[in-house]
Amino acid sequence: MKPLNEQISDVITHEPVAVFMKGTPQMVMCGNSHRALQALHAAGAPITTVDILPDPRIRQELAQISGWPTIPQVFVKGELIGGADITEELLESGELQQRLDESLGADRPQDVKVVALELA
Amino acid sequence: MEADTIRGLLEAAFPEATTLSVEDRTGGGDHFQVTVVSPDFEGLPLLDQHRRVNDALAAPLGDGSIHELRIKTKGTA
Repeated sequence: MKPLNEQISDVITHEPVAVFMKGTPQMVMCGNSHRALQALHAAGAPITTVDILPDPRIRQELAQISGWPTIPQVFVKGELIGGADITEELLESGELQQRLDESLGADRPQDVKVVALELA
Repeated sequence: MEADTIRGLLEAAFPEATTLSVEDRTGGGDHFQVTVVSPDFEGLPLLDQHRRVNDALAAPLGDGSIHELRIKTKGTA
């Protein structure tokens, strides 16, 4: 089994859009996570989510990697976009769509996928 | 945590802010909306603007006394 921080980095690096959130798209456990997902949906993003709730170490390791203290955290092509507020603001200004178009193409798939990290 | 405590931390970090408000969204002292308009943010990407606010509130964010934080920032220009 890979160490947790490597698993987290793998998701950030390899998934087109990664969202670290509380819960899953089927069962969102936090208002801000919900807002981030809604904004990404509205922008036509593919979404890969990781639930941080199963183990507090996920959140700690993630904060170490990203330097961002709060949840949710949205990454596009490995780059931190921000939390729910920034994702919403970028949707409203059109920058989110533009960024997705540039990094993933305008005819990108819009699949939603959940990744469960392996916990020791 | 009192909204005034958060306001104090933000005032210390952004002494030149022209707007600085802290709203306790639920009245429970752990869900806050903060708005900061300051020349500090001029020319900074949104990500870095929010980073500055997160840094100012690192202590209450770190010890869990802020459960949910909503941030709105703007430069003054």
